[in-house]
Amino acid sequence: MDGNMLVTMFLVAFVLVGGALVFSHFIAPKSVNYQKFEPYECGIPTKGVSWLQFNVGYYLFAILFLVFDVETVFIYPWAVVMKEVGLVGYIEILIFFVILVLGLLYAWKKKALTWA
Amino acid sequence: MQLENFLLMRHELLLLLLALLVLVFEIFTDDGKIHKIIPWITGLFVLVTFAGFLPQTEGVLFGGMFRITGMQIMMKNILNVGVAIILLQSAVWLKKPENSGKISEYYILLLSTLIGMNFMISSGDFLMFYLGLELATIPMAVLAAFDRYRNNSAEAGIKLILSSALSSGILLFGLSMLYGMTGSIYFDAINANINQSPLMALSLIFFFAGMGFKISLVPFHLWTADVYEGAPVSVTSYLSVVSKGAAVFIFSIILFTVFDKLSGYWINMVYALAILTMTVGNLFAIRQKNMKRFLAFSSIAQAGFILLGILNASEFGMTTIMYFVLVYIFSNLGAFGVVSAISYFTGKENMDDYDSLYKNNPKLSLLLTISLFSLAGIPPFAGFFGKFFLFMSAASQGYYWLVFIAVLNATISLYYYLLPVKAMFINKSETPLPVIKSDVYTRIALILCAVGIFGVGFYSPVYEWIYQLVLQFGI
Amino acid sequence: MIEGIPLHLILVVATVMFFTGIYGFLTRRNLITILMSIELILNSVNINFVAFNRYLYPQHLQGQFFSIFIIAIAACEAAVAIAIIINIYRRFTTINVEDVSEMKY
Repeated sequence: MDGNMLVTMFLVAFVLVGGALVFSHFIAPKSVNYQKFEPYECGIPTKGVSWLQFNVGYYLFAILFLVFDVETVFIYPWAVVMKEVGLVGYIEILIFFVILVLGLLYAWKKKALTWA
Repeated sequence: MQLENFLLMRHELLLLLLALLVLVFEIFTDDGKIHKIIPWITGLFVLVTFAGFLPQTEGVLFGGMFRITGMQIMMKNILNVGVAIILLQSAVWLKKPENSGKISEYYILLLSTLIGMNFMISSGDFLMFYLGLELATIPMAVLAAFDRYRNNSAEAGIKLILSSALSSGILLFGLSMLYGMTGSIYFDAINANINQSPLMALSLIFFFAGMGFKISLVPFHLWTADVYEGAPVSVTSYLSVVSKGAAVFIFSIILFTVFDKLSGYWINMVYALAILTMTVGNLFAIRQKNMKRFLAFSSIAQAGFILLGILNASEFGMTTIMYFVLVYIFSNLGAFGVVSAISYFTGKENMDDYDSLYKNNPKLSLLLTISLFSLAGIPPFAGFFGKFFLFMSAASQGYYWLVFIAVLNATISLYYYLLPVKAMFINKSETPLPVIKSDVYTRIALILCAVGIFGVGFYSPVYEWIYQLVLQFGI
Repeated sequence: MIEGIPLHLILVVATVMFFTGIYGFLTRRNLITILMSIELILNSVNINFVAFNRYLYPQHLQGQFFSIFIIAIAACEAAVAIAIIINIYRRFTTINVEDVSEMKY
């Protein structure tokens, strides 16, 4: 790989972002208005407060889903080579699952799964 | 793979078993009984610490991802000793009613971070290094935000997780460029293919910046004071001692073994950052009134002194770093132990509150005094030998100016380390703090620190022992 | 190999993403947006790793595996950060960084 070319690319990207930062700082009209602090900066005013009092269960479910969903990504590489790695690989993935299940049990014990 | 090969990961496996044990106990026990776990876990952890000192074979696992040598075992043992003291110190704090629902969480998170640090120290490639680093950082943010009902604690948690996420992002970008240049993520292969091209230097800078955040070197230190002040005291001591020690260990291992051909670049960076870190840490420490913030800035300054050891990329430099971290663990945990005991029993954390402390609490005052003297590097205590060896290792490479600046900084630090001592012994106060009856855990921890401060300094075989292990590792 | 797309174009995309993330991290005032900037940084690293792996070193899959782990860890990081942000919202009733700062030098 051509190191010099990559350095050039890097510098170009740096200058682009840094330049945009400096340039916009100088030419942008400074206006501080309420719309800038809207959650959706698309011009349509939001009605009420965007941070409504959602049931905290939503957040807990979302966070739990986020973590457990992504952990499954590790099962795919194992599934591809399942036959080659044999019993040892099977036991290792079992250990992985046991730890995940312990995490789920913990969430259960902490009543994160009950919709209250 | 042979099953007995897994014994090479003895430290990690024991800690993992302990963490899973706590988790299972938490799941299958009523909430009211969980406080019974405190003596068990503390005792088991002390056993694990002793088990770490058993002789162990060296070797390589997972095709080179995981290496274990005598030096790395020693590093893990040093960290284990620190964590054992912290667990002893935090027992009384965990028994508070407000913490009753999260005792096991504290242990699980603390042990996870320690497992992460152990994997990080033993890593043989950048993937394992990154995994260990993140495992050591993410639970740490939860620990910092542990006091759910205190605003400062939540603030500390978010500052820690955002700044560490940014720093690992920067570090990863450097690693990706390194991968693009060398085609490997293994330390050996990278070291074989490394060259002096500008892109290599760039990836080194990114790596350096990322690690600078973790060790809180000066241009990257802005999160440190707020996080240290906001987090619970035992977490602060953990962050400033164990976590920083682990980061310094792996930082110096990677600089010495992976980037050794680029030493022309990083020696200059370390040189500049050492001066900045020592000076800025000291100048800010002078102005602090809150004891936790004070110790936070003093620990930034200490990180600057550790950089002196990194400048000497040899067995000597590595030994001085490990020795200094060992001494630093005892001294800093001694200071934090007293601060945490006073903060727990009276709720006072400011330096003014320490006026006339000696009147009612002579033992605590004496211990805080010797810890601060050791941190300052006053001769009979271990801290002096730690600093002395660091200065020696930098001077042996000819960095006399740097050593001169370091000595100047050590003198400045003497001034502010004496401020709490003056408050305790000389300042008069109408209402000195009442007599503090500390519990048995805290006492054991404080006695251990005192023994360490005197023992490590006077018992010279410790240094020789570390030196032999580093020689076997070979740098 | 993707037909007709040279490596350096992909790298420019990744680098611009990286610096956009840094820019967002430094200028945004909303904690969630800062978190999104960090995701941008991590994803730019993923692009780098996968592109290097595919174009330069297709015989091993080290780069792709690295990015799988980065994805998983980014999810954990986001989960923890969001949990702390929820706690911050309960304590401060705002997630603007300037208001979430009680400790001062």
